[in-house]
Amino acid sequence: MLEIKDLHAGVDGSEIIKGISLSVNKGEIHAIMGPNGSGKSTLAKILSGHPAYETTAGKVTFDAKDLLEMDAEERSIAGVFMGFQYPVEVPGVNNAEFLRMAHNARRVSAGEEEIDPLDFDELLSEKMKTLGMEKKYKERNLNDGFSGGEKKKNEILQMAILEPKLAILDETDSGLDIDALRIVSEGVNKLRNNNNALILITHYQRLLDYIKPDFVHVLSKGKIIKSGDKSLALELESQGYDWITPVN
Amino acid sequence: MSDTLEKLTEETAFLDLHKNFVEENKPNSALSAIHESALSRFEVLGFPHSKHEMYTYVNTKKLAATAFAVSSPSEKIDLIDKHIYSGCENSCLVFVNGVLDQTLSRLQAIESSVKISSLEEKDDVDTLLVSLENENDVFACLANAFCADVTVVEIPDKGQVAVPIQVLFVSTGDTSRPEMHSPRLLWKVGKLAEVKVIEKFVGMQEGYFTNMVQDWKVAEGAGVILTQVQSDPFGAWNFQKTRVHIKRNARFHSANASSGSVLVHNHFEVRLEEEGAEVILNGVSVLKGKEQVHNFIRIHHEAPQCISHQHFKNVINDEGRSSFDGTVIVNQGAQLTNANQLINNLMLSDDCHADNKPNLMIFADDVKCAHGATIGQIDEEQLFYLQTRGLSKKFAKELLTRSFAESIVQTIQFPEVVKELNNTLLKKLEVENV
Repeated sequence: MLEIKDLHAGVDGSEIIKGISLSVNKGEIHAIMGPNGSGKSTLAKILSGHPAYETTAGKVTFDAKDLLEMDAEERSIAGVFMGFQYPVEVPGVNNAEFLRMAHNARRVSAGEEEIDPLDFDELLSEKMKTLGMEKKYKERNLNDGFSGGEKKKNEILQMAILEPKLAILDETDSGLDIDALRIVSEGVNKLRNNNNALILITHYQRLLDYIKPDFVHVLSKGKIIKSGDKSLALELESQGYDWITPVN
Repeated sequence: MSDTLEKLTEETAFLDLHKNFVEENKPNSALSAIHESALSRFEVLGFPHSKHEMYTYVNTKKLAATAFAVSSPSEKIDLIDKHIYSGCENSCLVFVNGVLDQTLSRLQAIESSVKISSLEEKDDVDTLLVSLENENDVFACLANAFCADVTVVEIPDKGQVAVPIQVLFVSTGDTSRPEMHSPRLLWKVGKLAEVKVIEKFVGMQEGYFTNMVQDWKVAEGAGVILTQVQSDPFGAWNFQKTRVHIKRNARFHSANASSGSVLVHNHFEVRLEEEGAEVILNGVSVLKGKEQVHNFIRIHHEAPQCISHQHFKNVINDEGRSSFDGTVIVNQGAQLTNANQLINNLMLSDDCHADNKPNLMIFADDVKCAHGATIGQIDEEQLFYLQTRGLSKKFAKELLTRSFAESIVQTIQFPEVVKELNNTLLKKLEVENV
């Protein structure tokens, strides 16, 4: 599904990703872990198409199409979803209306008709219920004045509405208390099936207690320095990153 | 020296015009008193130079140099129905070229609750003369000097006007011979009375100068909701001076939606005269091409426990230009004042221009006052966020600009006006137009 080959990328002329290769197939969950400044979030920004980040070398294909050639909205339409570490507040744009517009953008591009507003409201209510989100978040403006936890829930709500093939969740667990973490994780698990894939970018092992990864990759100084199964995450939790990261 | 001569000529042209105007209109003695007082004030003030405090950001040179005619009030027009809001069909005052048209106005729905008359009462004349003595806006003086009548609208004590009153200002316009129109109103809202008013400015074609002045006397405990919609064609000047006096526990809430023209100037002078008075002034403009909208606001807190809120938003594209010059003056003794003032500008092009001067002058020591101004572009992070959810860049931009302006439009309490603004003012932000 997703093929990253020898990716080099950065921002403002400084190289942060220094040769990453990764292959993600249908039905798989990959966790990318690493200390602060290892390039985790840069990787997420590159994959989602942030205009400030620049690829200097390498290739990324998604369903055999060149992902890096696509605009952010084309990636979304193609089925890539990015859960933001810091979801952006957009005052003045109603949350429910925005979600319907996003849902319709996907439908229209697939040649389907726009959803009936009442049907969508029903769909939204159902998804919000599973995430334990109060109804008032329909009326409020997109992330405007939301608490950290509600913002992250709102990201997963968008994921539920968009049903992506590949979801990249950037530090979705940070800023969540344990109850919210459990609810968010359950929400993500419900969306999982054999036809979609998930990349979890996280600093802590805690999230992986709830969402079980098939593969764990350790990112350090812009490179994947170790890959393994979920036991690797446990080792990192108990011993920290020092035993594994190169010293220079 | 040559500057002085030129200036004199400009003012002289208006003085000459006034002589013709008086000969044609033959005003009664009450009106003559207003005219004379206004004219002498006009001569004292003169047209503003570029450093003039009130017109620092507003270039009125072309306006002052235009040889206007003053229209005869008999001109017949039709096709005004489309400008009358649903719900105001029997409660509309129609001014054609600055003069109240009795045949086009329809007042059946408000006849019993509102008294509409010409300027007659000595008290009213005195009120206007006193306010003229302190009038520092030369264009407001000009409007007073050239008004063919003063329309006095009186809502008696405890009067509840069941339907909104629409005041429609229509100008016929003539590009070859531009006319100056000076509608003049005096609103007297009695104790505990409630009234909602929608003022709309339109023109059949370009080539006119609407110069409107209105005074609002809002008595104790009364409530006023005023909505203004400016939608003149580009080549029309639109100036207004709205002076508001608010008594104890009375409220005056207004929202102004301006689509701009070659020059639009909104001047509000509000006096919170007794305890508990409250004013809200909101405004929104969406400007394209070379359209301009300028707001000049003075709010005087003259008594304790008064509230004033101002929120103005401008979306400016192309070579559009706006300014906001607003001062809140908290007098000595006006303790526990609560005053807010916020101006937000969204700039969509390299050549657009916005000037902001938010001011506070506080002479009391126990007050809560805040003011601020922002000038910004579309937030790139917001744009990117919306794009990652599958919205096209163009659509996301439209959504962001629209939502910026919408927050003010949504404060308007008349669904008919909101609906109209969605199809006119906010339409200017659509994809193909941005």
